[in-house]
Amino acid sequence: MPDPVVRIRGLSKRYGDFTALDRVDLDVVQGEILALLGPNGAGKTTLISIVAGLVRASEGEATVLGRDVVRDYRFTRRAVGLVPQETNFDPFFTVEETLRFQAGYFGVRLSPDRLEEILHALDLAGKRHANTRSLSGGMKRRLLIGKALVHEPKVLFLDEPTAGVDVRLRQQLWAYVRLLRSRGTTIVLTTHYLEEAEELAERVAVIDRGRILLVEGKELLMARRGGKTLRVSLGAPIPELPGRLAAMGARLAEGGCAIDVDAPSEGSFGPVLAALAEAGLPIGDVETRRARLEEVFVSLLGDGAAGGAP
Amino acid sequence: MNTLGVRTLFSKEMRRFLRVPGQTVLSPLITTSLYFLVFGWSLGSRIREVDGVPYARFILPGLVMLGVVTNAYLNSASSLFVMKLQGTVVDVLVSPLSYAEILGAFVAAAVVRGLLVGGIMWLVGAAFTGFGVAHPAVATLLLVAVASGFAALGFLTATWAASFEQVNFLPTFVVTPLTFLGGVFYSASMAPPALRWLTRSNPVYYLVEALRWAVLGRSDVPPGAGLAVAAVLATGALAAAYAVLRSGWRLRG
Repeated sequence: MPDPVVRIRGLSKRYGDFTALDRVDLDVVQGEILALLGPNGAGKTTLISIVAGLVRASEGEATVLGRDVVRDYRFTRRAVGLVPQETNFDPFFTVEETLRFQAGYFGVRLSPDRLEEILHALDLAGKRHANTRSLSGGMKRRLLIGKALVHEPKVLFLDEPTAGVDVRLRQQLWAYVRLLRSRGTTIVLTTHYLEEAEELAERVAVIDRGRILLVEGKELLMARRGGKTLRVSLGAPIPELPGRLAAMGARLAEGGCAIDVDAPSEGSFGPVLAALAEAGLPIGDVETRRARLEEVFVSLLGDGAAGGAP
Repeated sequence: MNTLGVRTLFSKEMRRFLRVPGQTVLSPLITTSLYFLVFGWSLGSRIREVDGVPYARFILPGLVMLGVVTNAYLNSASSLFVMKLQGTVVDVLVSPLSYAEILGAFVAAAVVRGLLVGGIMWLVGAAFTGFGVAHPAVATLLLVAVASGFAALGFLTATWAASFEQVNFLPTFVVTPLTFLGGVFYSASMAPPALRWLTRSNPVYYLVEALRWAVLGRSDVPPGAGLAVAAVLATGALAAAYAVLRSGWRLRG
């Protein structure tokens, strides 16, 4: 495996008695989209804030491209872009000024081409001379992304990028995240929308109560943890299942109008279908449904809670 | 050093106050002009002279000092506080600017605003009382030091403050009383004993007197005292603001 772009070892953050992060280890690989998935208050924002330089760790270390985020902050901050969760804007300035200032803080002169590119990519070209106060919520959020990109970071942290965003803008933002990744930007996004992680990420790190419960490729995670369900809709309701089907773990659903059978991700429904045919049940429709990340996530958090109990 | 970063933050701070000149330059100018009119003209017709200096000319250095102090303080205080409130302080904190660079840019812009307002006030007052300045270099040095000190105090206050009321605490409850009791409008030697004692134990008095010496060429106390107060204020406040910024208190989690 190549050297990770972001390497986190034994990272803890305590606020008084409250432990926001508890000895976290995590590697982010060059060019990937990693979703940091967890419920509210799990420690996602704290974790990326430490790497971006907004929060100081109580213990442990974080490096970006091999350099420590505290000792070598000038280097690491130039390599990192952060899109914070809360939209912010300075009502004194226009969109273009805001982007130019942000580039300047990073010691970068924003070239006209780069400015145009960002404005167009984020659909803000028509607003370049508009005061940031006059922007809609979605535009303000896109401006935040623009600000995080002015210095062409190697790693982009997106903290809940689509929280409170409508469907169209969400799709636009996702498309742009994919574009950035295709150009080689490594992306870490925190989200509690499982759909977002499922849609975008290649790997998923599940975090809860300051601890990383699991880091795995999304497909592998789904295959290992998620199963699939076969639903057979019947032409007419039946009072009870034939014994052979019941022995296979099937159960009645929809008031006897349907039969559900679960199987592991790689399992086969062949024997179930054979048993159905043999029982002579009136089959109306057959569909299979893969478990969504959401179910995997809920089961993981359940495990985590159980593991954390005294 | 991140030279472009510092220049950008400085220029952003400058543009911020220049974009609302009515609030940041004109308003203090009107206030001071009113002081000047009311005290200078009305009292001036009765007092006429203090130690051989026309009264209106006597009060001008103190008014300029008040303008410089208030504006330098308010610039860094309101800017940083608004950035905290709006969340834009994050933009600076994630950048590769060092603590000294951040503080330097904020203080430099605040000093410029202080000197700009003080300078315009002086021009307006001097149009009535004469443009002569006895020691211009000392006057500039003193005002830069005082403005830096109060800009750093503004930065500190904004770091601590959770409301606008707290931002206004220092100018309302500390700076204004100290200035009014700091011999802006009177000479300590003319004051009754109690007020004289109060005036002489007030550090702002020495700043006003030092500026009076630099502008008028005369003062009640040697100018060295005021320069020393300015030096201690500037070094102390800048060091404290730097230490607090570095500690991350209320800015970095």
